[in-house]
Amino acid sequence: MSAPQPSAEALVSVSNIHTHYGKSHILHGVTLHVGAGEVVGLLGRNGVGKSTTLKTIMGLAQPSQGEVKFAGRAVTGLPAHKLARLGMGYVPEDRRIFRFLTVMENLRTGLDRRGVTAQRKQELLDKVFAYFPVLAERRHQPGGTLSGGEQQMLAIARAMMLEPRIILLDEPTEGLMPRMVSQIAQIIGALHRDGVAILLVEQNVPLTLQASERIYIMEKGMVRHHCAASDINVNDEAIRQYLGV
Amino acid sequence: MSAILEIFAAIPYDQVLIQTVNGIVTGMILALVASGLTLIFGIMDVVNFAHGELFMLGAYIGVVVLATTGSFWLALLIATLIVALLGAALQIVTLRPLLGRDPLTTILATFGVSLVLQNYALWQFGPVARKIQEPITGSFQLLYLEYPWYRLLIAALSAAIIGALWLFLKFGTWGIWIRAATQDRVMAQAMGIPVPWVHTGVFAIGAGMAAASGVLFGPLVGVTHAMGLDWVLKAFIVVVVGGMGNLGGSIAAAVFISLLEAYASIWVSPAQAVIVSFVVLILTLLIRPTGLFVPTPK
Ligand SMILES: Nc1ncnc2c1ncn2[C@@H]1O[C@H](COP(=O)(O)OP(=O)(O)OP(=O)(O)O)[C@@H](O)[C@H]1O
Ligand SMILES: [Mg+2]
Repeated sequence: MSAPQPSAEALVSVSNIHTHYGKSHILHGVTLHVGAGEVVGLLGRNGVGKSTTLKTIMGLAQPSQGEVKFAGRAVTGLPAHKLARLGMGYVPEDRRIFRFLTVMENLRTGLDRRGVTAQRKQELLDKVFAYFPVLAERRHQPGGTLSGGEQQMLAIARAMMLEPRIILLDEPTEGLMPRMVSQIAQIIGALHRDGVAILLVEQNVPLTLQASERIYIMEKGMVRHHCAASDINVNDEAIRQYLGV
Repeated sequence: MSAILEIFAAIPYDQVLIQTVNGIVTGMILALVASGLTLIFGIMDVVNFAHGELFMLGAYIGVVVLATTGSFWLALLIATLIVALLGAALQIVTLRPLLGRDPLTTILATFGVSLVLQNYALWQFGPVARKIQEPITGSFQLLYLEYPWYRLLIAALSAAIIGALWLFLKFGTWGIWIRAATQDRVMAQAMGIPVPWVHTGVFAIGAGMAAASGVLFGPLVGVTHAMGLDWVLKAFIVVVVGGMGNLGGSIAAAVFISLLEAYASIWVSPAQAVIVSFVVLILTLLIRPTGLFVPTPK
């Protein structure tokens, strides 16, 4: 299938990026886009380069070729901290909570920015504590003492502190029990209603198809399939071909 | 039984008291030098071989400012600020380009800087030791000794500076940034923390603290271009014994080693007492290489 053209109003558009780790060539020309407020799924087997795609968008891995645009502006090669301040939130697959910082301090890493009034900070905190009441209870506890599910919530809440226009969400349900998984699905829905775009990397195909508007499927460092989430179901041929075991 | 009593009777309690005070005084100043070193290592994985020269440069700037203004406190302040700025410049020019490279490159870079600074000082100020006049000259009676108040003041000031650093790290936004970047540089950056500037800031803080200790300690030893060597060596031992990058551990180790050396000097000459710190270092590396004062390995 031919690579989809990024629409003019795409919030994030990635064109033909190639990324290497040392000598290994991981991404072989990935092209995709996410519209403002859109939830887009990115599927693929282990090791096909999904996380690397997110890292490249976030400025944590530098592509040797290709371009990343954010809100119409070329941002390829910008350091991650600038992208974060421009409104790109990142929730990595291993969560990467600051273990020795309290929950509150973890949130403050994104909240203490220039130009955020005390009132606005309080509103943002109230909002995430309403989404994740358990974080409010544990606000003075070191992040490393939280359970896996709580750490995942903290990782999402922390990204929300940046008031991002898009969140790059890497396998948020990995290793979580079913009740937590449905809670994460609800949060994705809530963020979507708030107008936050999400690029969702997941192994959980049903959840991805249900949460996303469009999906991309990757194989060997390339996007192989692209369609509306409603046009495909779990038993589809493409799913079986690229994701089946 | 009587043998034990004899041992207790043989302890010279007067000297133990005096050496306890001495150990705490040198321990606090050593803690001040070492905390800059450990802070820098913790966040950047850089072993700063120029730390002793920043200490020395602080002392020399103290000499110059004291000579022109006559104020010790002004000398302390100005030396701290100038060396902090110099530290920031050095970090930007020599270390920032090496971020993420082999640690050997940063060791060579800071070692080079230390040679340059040392020889600059030798060229500028000559080989003769300079003196910093202490701001208070009184003393009090500690048993049979006239003990200078200034020594206690050094300990108190060092403790105050370390305490201020702790508050800064604990409560300020910059403190949270520093701790976040120390734990996970990449994630800190993804949260919008300007990590390169945080590194520069930490290097400046460490350099300023080294300079402050140089000025504070100047009156006790005399200021020479090589005065940094002894201190930085000891500070390295403290940083390793306390657990690389662990601030609380470094402070505890500084006081611990200084007390041990002070007690040892009751029985052996001060020059031999220095061996104690190496013994502690070697034992630490053998028994608990992550550091004596680290509760749980990071
Ligand atoms: N830091 C690294 N250095 C070298 N190779 C790496 C590095 N990170 C990832 N790789 C390799 O790059 C390839 C793609 O990794 P990536 O993490 O992007 O895959 P993924 O699609 O996210 O897989 P998963 O579903 O397992 O998370 C893998 O073969 C992996 O081994
Ligand atoms: Mg991955």
